[in-house]
Amino acid sequence: MKLRILLADDHEIVRRGLCALLQKREGWEVCGEASDGREAVEMAKKLKPDVVIVDIGMPSLNGLDTTRQLMQHDPQFKVIVLTITDSDQVIREALDAGARGFVLKSDAARDLVSAVEALQSKRMFFTPRVNDLVLAGFLDKGHVVTRNEAPNLPTLTVREREITQLLAEGKSSKEVATMLNLSTKTVETHRSNIMRKLSLHSIRDLVVYAIKNNIIQIQMPAQNHSAPETTVA
Amino acid sequence: MPDQRTEHFMAVRILLVDDHPIVRQGLRTLLQGRGDWQVVGEASDGIEAVEKVESLQPDVVVLDVTMPRMNGLEACRLIQQKQKNKDSGLEVLFVTQHDSPQMMREALDAGARGYVVKSNAARDLLEAVESVSQHRVFTALARSPQASG
Repeated sequence: MKLRILLADDHEIVRRGLCALLQKREGWEVCGEASDGREAVEMAKKLKPDVVIVDIGMPSLNGLDTTRQLMQHDPQFKVIVLTITDSDQVIREALDAGARGFVLKSDAARDLVSAVEALQSKRMFFTPRVNDLVLAGFLDKGHVVTRNEAPNLPTLTVREREITQLLAEGKSSKEVATMLNLSTKTVETHRSNIMRKLSLHSIRDLVVYAIKNNIIQIQMPAQNHSAPETTVA
Repeated sequence: MPDQRTEHFMAVRILLVDDHPIVRQGLRTLLQGRGDWQVVGEASDGIEAVEKVESLQPDVVVLDVTMPRMNGLEACRLIQQKQKNKDSGLEVLFVTQHDSPQMMREALDAGARGYVVKSNAARDLLEAVESVSQHRVFTALARSPQASG
């Protein structure tokens, strides 16, 4: 029986690269491809893949919240998070979201097959950086850094995080309502709750919060260019 | 020493430059759709790209902007400078995640003939390589592909 893998990345060129890499393995098949987190959640519910590989910086619903939604739907989902950064905060959030694998995009050609193999064998797979962080947390505190030890993040619900991302991407409450099949009034209520919980006063503050907490990501310019572009990676 | 370019003048010889192997693999997969094109090499940063242009003499360099050690813009300038007296016909096509008119202008100023946004590479790459290999400009931000002579 084939190992079925669902891929979620907003760049088709990356999905093609990942497909080429994974399908070289006999007995593995890419059963679906999603271009954002929302699509990934829907496809995962329908296709029930053995492994889901999610990019962290997707529009509409980022990889961390995709992982949260998948785990909320079915804790048996095995998720590998692909990321361009292995900062402490991103690692902690990925662990907290329920990811069982964590692979740097730059190392995907080397590590991704090993990561899928690990999950297939009911093990976890992390980069050396993650292992170091988990070990440091273990040594410092006598236990592994994981759930409920994420850094000082206010407790937004899954829905609130989803709406935070969409608002930070520049969508209006009405557009968010349409995307999520909610009423505009419900979205406005969520929006007020988010602003209150986070002690924010403007959409600008919300965007800054979303960037700082990896809900959306900044695309840095090439060296020798001064102004960063604020786009969703 | 025989000129590798004239030996295969019907083919387009392509050098892929991106710091992410998985992106290079994706680009390679796309380009394999054209049997008459050949990926002759890969590089993972600007310095390696400049070296491989010298040794492989490709027709088209598909170049990322943001890379370690030397970014694509600097590499492009250096490649153009070194090629200036060679009449090589080499062209540079940027494939980047920067969906920005400003960055596109800088790329063209650096001597590139084409500019494609990574998120639309699957849509635009083949047409862009075709255009620049014939020395025509191809620029495409996320919503607006444009080829011109």
